[in-house]
Amino acid sequence: MIATFFLLALLQVKVPDAAQFVGQPKGVPLSGQQLEEQTMTISHELRCPVCQGLAIGDSPSIMAANMKAQVRELLERGYTEEQILSYFEKSYGQFVLLKPKFQGVNTLVWILPIAVLAIGFVLVVSKAKKLEVAPAVDATPEEPADDPYLAQVRKMVEKP
Amino acid sequence: MNRTVLIIGIIIVAAIVFVLFAGLGKDPQHIDSPLVGKPAPPFALKAVNTGETIDLESLRGKPVIVNFWATWCVPCYEEHPTLVANARQLPDVQFVGVVFNDTEDKINRFLAERGSAYPTLLDANGKTAIAYGVGGVPETYFINRAGTIVAKYEGPMSTEILQENLAKALR
Repeated sequence: MIATFFLLALLQVKVPDAAQFVGQPKGVPLSGQQLEEQTMTISHELRCPVCQGLAIGDSPSIMAANMKAQVRELLERGYTEEQILSYFEKSYGQFVLLKPKFQGVNTLVWILPIAVLAIGFVLVVSKAKKLEVAPAVDATPEEPADDPYLAQVRKMVEKP
Repeated sequence: MNRTVLIIGIIIVAAIVFVLFAGLGKDPQHIDSPLVGKPAPPFALKAVNTGETIDLESLRGKPVIVNFWATWCVPCYEEHPTLVANARQLPDVQFVGVVFNDTEDKINRFLAERGSAYPTLLDANGKTAIAYGVGGVPETYFINRAGTIVAKYEGPMSTEILQENLAKALR
């Protein structure tokens, strides 16, 4: 562990830092259970770039593990969820966000399902109203008065 | 009413078919980089093969090709000779290899076997790769003299592809 740390320190003189992308931390540094929980929450909002539709929290890939480790480190330093998502978005674009933002073409993703549901609801209600207004059909149709067969049957029944 | 339902249905199906057709033929792994046109994220890493520290910011004034790769990546084997040959032919262009999720021993063995013409840096915890939005290896970024990323290429490059992208960095 110590050897790995020293090797990293020797090889990495300077790596890109979140501060260059999203400024200084705006939140409170997290630790313990809260840190683990928030790491998991954010890891399920970021898409793994090397997997098909998996969150980094669910992916076994090394890339996802690196990204998750960075989320954890940023939370420890006091970066907020919004800042962390923004940091990854600045590198990978909106592709990395599993929950698309309410802007541009993405707006359709949010609006269309609601619009389709609303249209369906209006259609069902208007159809139901029409059914209510329609005259009730009498289940027992009136007997024609001059039905010769019926008259014959009556005659036969009434015979003593 | 039935006519209205039919029209709405056709509109919805047409929209879905349009979206599906628009995605046909696209590489699902391709990520449009928001960094193209933006300053390249600065880094300074020690080269495992030459021992020198490469600070990206000190390379301003020179076009830079940053190639992310790894020894466990099969297409990187295919691409390596192209990079080495071009680096030897283009002394005015700074080639930089950045290896992530790998070990120094494996990198040095790879370079000893397959040749080396430029510094190869180890991005041990993948932070540099993440800052560049690397989705997979090999992936190459072309940086102009002002330090702006002008192009990104995913996958192994041929000389034609390399020079076509490099031309954008030379403008």
